[in-house]
Amino acid sequence: MVNLDSYLKPGKDHYYALGLEGSANKLGVGIIRHEKGELTPNNKATVLANIRDTYITPPGEGFLPRDTARHHRNWIIRLIKRALIVSKLKGLDLDVICFTQGPGMGAPLQSVVIAARTLSQLWDIPLIGVNHCIGHIEMGREITNSTNPVVLYVSGGNTQIIAYSRQRYRIFGETLDIAIGNCLDRFARTLKISNNPSPGYNIEQLALKGKNFVELPYTVKGMDLSMSGILEYIDNLAYDLFNNKKNKLLTTESGEKITTADLCFSLQECLFAMLVEITERAMAHVNSNQVLIVGGVGCNERLQEMMAIMVKDRNGSIYATDERFCIDNGIMIAHAGLLAYRMGDTTPLNETVCTQKFRTDEVLVKWRDD
Amino acid sequence: MSFKYSLNLQIPFENSKQSAIAQGSLAPDPILKPNEISVIYSINSKNPNILEVKFSGDSDRVIRVAANNVIENLKTIIECMDEFDGKKNIIFIQE
Repeated sequence: MVNLDSYLKPGKDHYYALGLEGSANKLGVGIIRHEKGELTPNNKATVLANIRDTYITPPGEGFLPRDTARHHRNWIIRLIKRALIVSKLKGLDLDVICFTQGPGMGAPLQSVVIAARTLSQLWDIPLIGVNHCIGHIEMGREITNSTNPVVLYVSGGNTQIIAYSRQRYRIFGETLDIAIGNCLDRFARTLKISNNPSPGYNIEQLALKGKNFVELPYTVKGMDLSMSGILEYIDNLAYDLFNNKKNKLLTTESGEKITTADLCFSLQECLFAMLVEITERAMAHVNSNQVLIVGGVGCNERLQEMMAIMVKDRNGSIYATDERFCIDNGIMIAHAGLLAYRMGDTTPLNETVCTQKFRTDEVLVKWRDD
Repeated sequence: MSFKYSLNLQIPFENSKQSAIAQGSLAPDPILKPNEISVIYSINSKNPNILEVKFSGDSDRVIRVAANNVIENLKTIIECMDEFDGKKNIIFIQE
């Protein structure tokens, strides 16, 4: 058994961590509390604050690094203050300040770590850099009580199928080009639909009205996926649809016209079927019957439904969280950072440089030994 | 390497602790193009409340970009100090 309390401050029986997340267009600040001892269903982490502000761009536009960084700079101190207000804690109570060290967009990451470094020095609280993906995985496990699941991590910047083995979260399969959320977001841009609350959510709502399936390329390559070709293909279909160009793919066998809702529906069905396929294969590889879905696309109810059908066939169980924990947030960074802190890790100031590329399997998972 | 252009910024803080913290927050990030520009942070030898930033680069453009970036970061640092310096033992309440 791992001892998580070797570094507990004398006279205390709990820990508090502040988590700062800003690797993409969401800025999140969270405060979490752990009681001493192993985390179990009877000894759960407590969320004291989980505040988020999302940089939302106009329809048809994505978020650019520079503008996103400006948004984060503008809000980060106010969000930290609001999190402290909500939690009713003092700086004195905090054991550690956790920040996202990567992967993500360089400028937004950097704009947040500046605040983390300054607060850490002002209040003399150690820092810890957290891998964003590990944040998602650990928070998902904590919220759902899943012990050793196959993890499907699907978001705007990442698509990975992950399983734990010997103190690493190992990547079994991943996208070879763009992430699934990026594919959905960019199609939303093609359709010029709203980015509020998120482009993926609006595609999901439109897809509910779709009923005709348009066949799209299906590009599973071993345990990996490729999605850029699918995007190109469906973008061309949408272009023909908007410009009333003749395209026999845009009429069903019964003569019905394909709508944008049908395209959203088809895109989701195709992409999610690919995800379900590699997830099922990963489950067979590692002999697991639990699936945990994390990341922003994990909120999608159709994805959860499709995955549930597959998992049911294998007599397994599916674990997913809601938007508070699926979509990027500060609390998951606080949680994963606190786990590392409890194992004695801290990040010295000169090693707090953020990195755009930071693979999930680079992190030694000291807090697990199963 | 010697560069053609240079710019020196002097940023006064309330005390030497703050100027040192600002240096600590800015200094870890590496310069993206070290063959085009260098940025050196130091504390003023006469007045320790002053943080000095020395830019030297091979064009005025790279200096402008780097200086802008440093100033943007300084805004976050100063806002952080305004809100939190000396308030470690305070419970914040909604204003």
